[in-house]
Amino acid sequence: MSDVILSVRDLHVSFGERRKKFEAVRGVSFDIYAGETFGLVGESGSGKTTIGRSIIRVYPTSAGEIIYKGQKINGKISKELDHRVTREVQMIFQDPMASLNERAKVDYIVSEGLYNTGEKLTREQRTQMVEEALMDVGLLPEFASRFPHEFSGGQRQRIGIARALIMRPDFIIADEPISALDVSIRAQVLNLMSQLQKKRGLTYLFISHDLSVMRFICDRIAVIHKGVLVELADTETLFHRPLHPYTRALLSAVPMPNPAYEKSKVPLVYDESVHDYSTDLPRWVEIEPGHFVLGNVRELTEYENICKEA
Amino acid sequence: MENKEVVLSVRDLNVKFSLRGRVLHAIRGVSLDLYKGESFAIVGESGSGKSVLTKTFMGLLDQNGWVDSGSILYNGEDLAQYKTEKQWLKIRGREVAMVLQDPMTSLNPLKTIGAQIGEALKLHQGLKGEEAQKRICEILTDVGITEPERRAKQYPHEFSGGMRQRAVIAIAIACNPKILICDEPTTALDVTIQAQILQLIKNLVRKYQLTTVYITHDLGVVANVADRIAVMYAGDIVEVGTCEEIYYSPRHPYTWALLSSLPQLGVKGEELFSIRGTPPNLFNEINGDAFAARNPQALNIDFVERPPYFDVSETHKVRSWLMDERAPKVEPPEALKRLTPEGGSLYE
Repeated sequence: MSDVILSVRDLHVSFGERRKKFEAVRGVSFDIYAGETFGLVGESGSGKTTIGRSIIRVYPTSAGEIIYKGQKINGKISKELDHRVTREVQMIFQDPMASLNERAKVDYIVSEGLYNTGEKLTREQRTQMVEEALMDVGLLPEFASRFPHEFSGGQRQRIGIARALIMRPDFIIADEPISALDVSIRAQVLNLMSQLQKKRGLTYLFISHDLSVMRFICDRIAVIHKGVLVELADTETLFHRPLHPYTRALLSAVPMPNPAYEKSKVPLVYDESVHDYSTDLPRWVEIEPGHFVLGNVRELTEYENICKEA
Repeated sequence: MENKEVVLSVRDLNVKFSLRGRVLHAIRGVSLDLYKGESFAIVGESGSGKSVLTKTFMGLLDQNGWVDSGSILYNGEDLAQYKTEKQWLKIRGREVAMVLQDPMTSLNPLKTIGAQIGEALKLHQGLKGEEAQKRICEILTDVGITEPERRAKQYPHEFSGGMRQRAVIAIAIACNPKILICDEPTTALDVTIQAQILQLIKNLVRKYQLTTVYITHDLGVVANVADRIAVMYAGDIVEVGTCEEIYYSPRHPYTWALLSSLPQLGVKGEELFSIRGTPPNLFNEINGDAFAARNPQALNIDFVERPPYFDVSETHKVRSWLMDERAPKVEPPEALKRLTPEGGSLYE
């Protein structure tokens, strides 16, 4: 196994004060290895985006640690480290229609990040970097002088990716990068992301609610429900041996392009009351190598039996 | 289908828009029959004209658009000839209702959910006061909203995404329409909620004996709900058939392409199939098969003459020269062979 590039330890994020306090993320821990695609899946409101945003330092954390390449990056950090993290950790957003500045030319949109890290660059250097970034994502360098409205949805998302790439990042947070796109364009963007990963050795944190896409692109997947991780495993294990009832419900909801199967299937609905956590509190346990699940003693024995049988 | 009673019949419909002095040919000669009680899905990329087509059923085309030729027969009347709002008000909501994609934008944020349903009841059925209140609660229960009395007094911002979409559906069925058009009803929703909403629409269809039209770009979603599927490309239906025919024996190269670009069919570590190029510009006259330019296996004739419909079976029609007896035999892509009735979940 390669090195851990990002490590999240017992992360808590809350919004509001005192009586109105809302804990969006409650004690989440996971490691992301260099060069892998790590998936974070959950419903809207589960806190998956909040985790992504606290990693990129948009949201302040209330407890816990985020360690990037061995250094703590949440809370107060030095200016040098801040610049480094700003450059090395980048983000791709969901809606390419909303995430690009309508009034700026592509040239500026893509290069904007370069102005903010304190690096002194000449205009020529900058133009060249923009052109390279555009070519990396399969766009023409001439596009730099156009405005976002001149592009289709797929091309806009490519611009969004170019904007992240120009910073030469090591770690990219992709927050639902293809949810707003058409099926045919989705395929293009997914292919582009995997090509770039191979070429540049990028690490992705892929946030989505759609397990069908995750299975295609992710190496490992963590399932989050109401701010708590309920299961984490490598993709194949998670799909073949889902343990937590919430994971199973999510899996059963994935639509299949097969009418015979779809018309006979009964989607599972996750009901939290199946857990009796009144006396026996759930723990986060590695039930088999690399496969973590949340459960109390009774549930964990059940899960262990399932793993043994397999 | 045992009872093949046609509810709505579209014949050779052409819809055009004028944009900055140029004419855009959005629907290019579409014909389709909608049978009573069926659920019909229209699948296609954005810009293929699937929404425009259904908007003509309700007279909701934008100001700069018009039905150029063709007919839309409903109850013996030709909707394509309708001119005034007064005529349309008899159809809209009462006969044909619509559920739109984004429940955040299709509800009025300043009115309670109950008031918005009541509005439809008052307008179309003349229900008021107590009676209307009772009906509102009934409808809310039907769409799976618990505690209807309390929820009816709430505003849209107090509802979650899935609940809002339920409320939109409640408004749509409040006036007992015959046809329910669902335009991307689940695109803005989570996968788990999506399954619930589709199930809900299915149940309502049975209860209210609705004919439904689904519009979507994702072939993965409609396998569960559709009886028949039409695949649209560049303002034209290129293939139409029963759900099983479209998934298990698709014939048009565009349908192949749409199916093989589904991530469900992808193999990790390999490239996912993607359609190259972009859809044709509908401002220009299209010669031949509209998909030819993006189809690596296009025949010479595809660039010259528009293919007619070939019948594969009684229910399955394809607009592709590949079906002609003189055409070479082209095999569908490998990945599609995994789509069989026995295939079950593709993840096992």
